Amino acid sequence: MRFLQVSDLVKSFGDRTVLSGLTFGIERSEVYGLVGPNGAGKTTTINVLCSVLAPDRGGVYLDGVPVTDAARRRLGVATQEISLYADLTCRQNLSFFATVYGRSGLARSTRVNDCLSAVGLEERGDTLVSELSGGMRRRLHVGVAMLHEPELLVLDEPTVGLDLESRRQLWDLIRALASAGSTVLVTTHQLEEAEALCHRIGILQTGRLVAEGTMDELRRHIPAAELAVISAPDLDRVCRRAAELGFQFRRSLTSVSVWLPERYSLERVAGDFGGVALTSLALKPVGLEEIFAEVTDTARS
Amino acid sequence: MLTLSVAHRILTELWHTRRSLVFWALFPSLMLLLFGLIYAGDGSKAEAFNYTAPGILIGAALFFSCLGGPIAAIVAERERNTLKRLLLSPLGGTSYFLGILLAFLAIAAGQTVIVYGIAFAFGASYQGSMWLGATVVLLSVASYVGLGFFFGSRFTKRTEDVNGPVAAIGVPLLVLGGTFFPSETLPDYLLRLAHLDPVFHMNEALDAVSAEGLGWSAVTDHLLFLVVFTAVTLVLGVHSYRQMLTRERVL
Repeated sequence: MRFLQVSDLVKSFGDRTVLSGLTFGIERSEVYGLVGPNGAGKTTTINVLCSVLAPDRGGVYLDGVPVTDAARRRLGVATQEISLYADLTCRQNLSFFATVYGRSGLARSTRVNDCLSAVGLEERGDTLVSELSGGMRRRLHVGVAMLHEPELLVLDEPTVGLDLESRRQLWDLIRALASAGSTVLVTTHQLEEAEALCHRIGILQTGRLVAEGTMDELRRHIPAAELAVISAPDLDRVCRRAAELGFQFRRSLTSVSVWLPERYSLERVAGDFGGVALTSLALKPVGLEEIFAEVTDTARS
Repeated sequence: MLTLSVAHRILTELWHTRRSLVFWALFPSLMLLLFGLIYAGDGSKAEAFNYTAPGILIGAALFFSCLGGPIAAIVAERERNTLKRLLLSPLGGTSYFLGILLAFLAIAAGQTVIVYGIAFAFGASYQGSMWLGATVVLLSVASYVGLGFFFGSRFTKRTEDVNGPVAAIGVPLLVLGGTFFPSETLPDYLLRLAHLDPVFHMNEALDAVSAEGLGWSAVTDHLLFLVVFTAVTLVLGVHSYRQMLTRERVL
């Protein structure tokens, strides 16, 4: 059994099944990404994980112990919506929640300062939350979740609505937490985020895991060394040519991704598609986006 | 510790925004001045303010702060999503409720000082036992906060909903309870109905102690009604809050 073990979770709302036998595990000090499209069951998984929703079947275990109401304080949760007191300063928000989690006196003020520093807001400690930027609020929101030094930090869509700069800052924070030995579960529908942050990734679709592993392990779902991304005025023609060449391919609205089974040079691909008018051609490594599309399509079919 | 922390948080938030605090100080002050001067006419201002101050404290001060305040606090908790964070924390419903009660007791103490400060400036004097007066105020605050908890957790979802229960239920209770004019002016059938109104008992009890200097025996019936009413509202309030948490158990 892993540090966090989610076993055979089933949860339905009326006749709609949201989780159908979800099973996954997270090792201690691991950053695990649960990715999936909207409605895949990510937030329901977190609700069950935090024992605010009871599953119809299955269980959640932290270090072998079932997560119940009493064990919930071992988790730190940053929900998708920011939940802070806008009319308090950053320090006052942290201080209030530190007291709620049983800290007082010097231990409380030390921990509050540590958290402010960890989320990069030490200069903003006495600023009202209502005066912070969206990125700063999001970082403070994570800071409150990690305040009581939980054994597992759960971040639900932590960068939703953030600009690029704020997103990078939050990624740095999550990386720093991971380096310091924290165990983190991140749910996201941004594949780039999961790829950048997580040691292992689980792909969730219609309430069950359709693939799981490190990026290297997930890449095995696509038998390709790399991809040729081809744009052309006539994409049908590109698809026909790829089929003639015996390549597997995936067509999107604006391009065709051709799976190259071995390392190809750009010139060789251009030569293979020589008779077809191309707008652009680029080679790229297999990423989570392609893996996600492949495994979810396979699961759907 | 948790109770103190919740109270401290609420008072700090109110201090930072100040709007509510200014309203809760200004409104009863103006009402007291107006009604005190109207009732005084050409006669004794001291006597008019003696009889006006208790009703204004109960109806124009404590009513709006200690009933409207907790409703607004719960709605804000829900709108800011902090309710969900509290749901995940070790803070229990009773500690949270007591924290809110403590915060509004502090506000009530401030309002009492302001209302009686103005009344004293016009020559009024407090006649009865301080302890008895404090007991009436304490019971009034507790029952208002309990009612506020009940309405806030059961009937209001958004900030716009806050004024609804305060206006629809609260203001008729104030009028029937004799906040703005003496209950002796009510017709008999309305006076009988007023005996079911907690505001009537708050007003009558504080009036008897503050303006007439009467003791425990004179206000026993009012206090008994208020103790029972307070107990009912507290149970209702905490129960509704717990039910609301159950309803909100989705992150």
